[in-house]
Amino acid sequence: MIAAVISAVTARAQWLDYPTPGVPRLPNGKPNLTAPAPKTADGKPDLSGIWTTKAGYTGNIARDLKPGELSFQPWASEVYKHRQETQGKEDPQAYCVLSGVPREHVVPYPFKILNTPGMIAILYEALHSYRQIFMDGRKLPKDPNPTWMGYSVGRWDGDALVVDSSGFVDNNWLDNGGHMGTEAMKLTERFHRRDYGHIDLAVTIDDPKAYTKPWTVNLEFNATPDTELIEYVCDENEKDLKHLVGK
Amino acid sequence: MRVRLRLFAAVTLALSMPAAGQWLHYKTPGIPRTADGSPDLKAAASKTADGKPDLSGIWRGDPGGYGLNMAAELKPSEIQPWAEKLYKQRLEDLGKDSPSYRCMPQIGPYTSFGMFKILQTPTVIGVLSEGGVYRQVLTDGRPLPEDPNPTWMGYSVGHWDGDTLVVESAGFNDQTWLDAGHPHSEQLRVTERFRRKDFGHMELKMTFSDPKIYSRSWTIDVGLELVPDTELLEYVCNENEKDVKHFLITEEDRKQNRTNVKVAPETLAKYAGIYEMLNPEDAKAKPISMWVLTESDQLLMQMNGAGPKIPLAAQSATTFSVLGGTVVFVTDDKGAVTHFTMQAVEGDFKVLRKGNLPPAATK
Repeated sequence: MIAAVISAVTARAQWLDYPTPGVPRLPNGKPNLTAPAPKTADGKPDLSGIWTTKAGYTGNIARDLKPGELSFQPWASEVYKHRQETQGKEDPQAYCVLSGVPREHVVPYPFKILNTPGMIAILYEALHSYRQIFMDGRKLPKDPNPTWMGYSVGRWDGDALVVDSSGFVDNNWLDNGGHMGTEAMKLTERFHRRDYGHIDLAVTIDDPKAYTKPWTVNLEFNATPDTELIEYVCDENEKDLKHLVGK
Repeated sequence: MRVRLRLFAAVTLALSMPAAGQWLHYKTPGIPRTADGSPDLKAAASKTADGKPDLSGIWRGDPGGYGLNMAAELKPSEIQPWAEKLYKQRLEDLGKDSPSYRCMPQIGPYTSFGMFKILQTPTVIGVLSEGGVYRQVLTDGRPLPEDPNPTWMGYSVGHWDGDTLVVESAGFNDQTWLDAGHPHSEQLRVTERFRRKDFGHMELKMTFSDPKIYSRSWTIDVGLELVPDTELLEYVCNENEKDVKHFLITEEDRKQNRTNVKVAPETLAKYAGIYEMLNPEDAKAKPISMWVLTESDQLLMQMNGAGPKIPLAAQSATTFSVLGGTVVFVTDDKGAVTHFTMQAVEGDFKVLRKGNLPPAATK
């Protein structure tokens, strides 16, 4: 993963330089990223487009928190310490399973949001995976089969999209540093498209099995127009595993 | 979606048990329903806000026998000899080198083989595969790239031809298999024509063109059916992966000649015949017919006496390996073959002998 981040090549092929239709532009043709956020036909904010997370949170999703805001349960504290010491050697993503949520929003790979009636889907470049957010009014399942991406239902609170998720696997990693999520984790995400070029995301992690109280991190997505997602096949030419050297 | 179980497609489909989770039984909103609440799959197809046919929904497609032999429409002379030879070799090797066994994606158009969800927006149609990956069909008017970086799934652009969505794909690498073993080159182009006939049914014509290997293009028809009131399950190929080390034919096997068990031709001849197995999903449905044939001291299996013939590799005089499982022939106390047992990951199935092959099949 670390190697993958460093070598995330910005290939500049014709396909990747195609101007995204519908992007508001400045007189010089560049995307106007401070133009107003677009709306869908039904008047809701339209989150569609390709986005990239503001850098800096890949290794530690909680880096902006003040001391005491994130409080581990004793066992989780030990596990986190172990993961730090072993430099992420046991990271499930090193074995090409999914990154899961919210980790997909702290890794430096772009993703595309698709907005359709009843469903917002996110296509992640990382691991070529996708996530579905049901917007058809359904409730979260009571006892779901645990998954990496979890189950997500969304609703509008004014201009903010509020997504509730649960049903996660027990060995979720929330970042490369090894903050954990368990089957008890409930996520609440508030996505707010501030203007054309920016989405603010507040993620609240409520996982009483791993943390003594909920904690919230604030992330920011930058619109990434005039490019495309690149195919990411984790199993292809995989050479990381044998280089993971943590003790 | 692995190629492995194509021969046992009927069995596999029958056994892909609908896990009875509450999540999976949520009624899909917006589906036209009959008076008793069941989905009205013959209702008219709907349109999107911009007046295009709306292809959205969860669909299922099955390539049938083409899953084993996508080039079944072609004559052997229309295929480069090296490619045909490679196909046969891969069948004999029970597909052990198939990239899909190693969790590599298949070409984008093959997301239609299996369960998938179409999400339609004016500029991009997203296809979410239950195989865990997604595919994008860009409908923003861009052309296919002229010299793309080759990818496993390729690049796809779409446009509307009346009520038909025409998707053109190129930019594939040359690593994936078209079926149980036919190769393709980086020149492969696939054209798909999707036409939603009514709410529950979609016509899909898939045209393959790869002049480096196949001297003409060809088209297959795949019927797609809407799958209402359920959801895609998360499938993570790499999670708990235990297949690769069990592949029957290893280099060690080759060295020890384990794959070259010789069975007397008269014993093989005894196994030839027509066999039938009850449909595991519905015992009242038409039984599944399997033909066992011999050609040049090689035992072969064919579904319903048609389509590709799949080699059975002898492990002993009674036990044979086949793509997707193991076949064990059983005789009565007089030495007559009564049935064979098909052992697959789903369990053991008894396949009864029904009679001899028609004379034409024994030539």
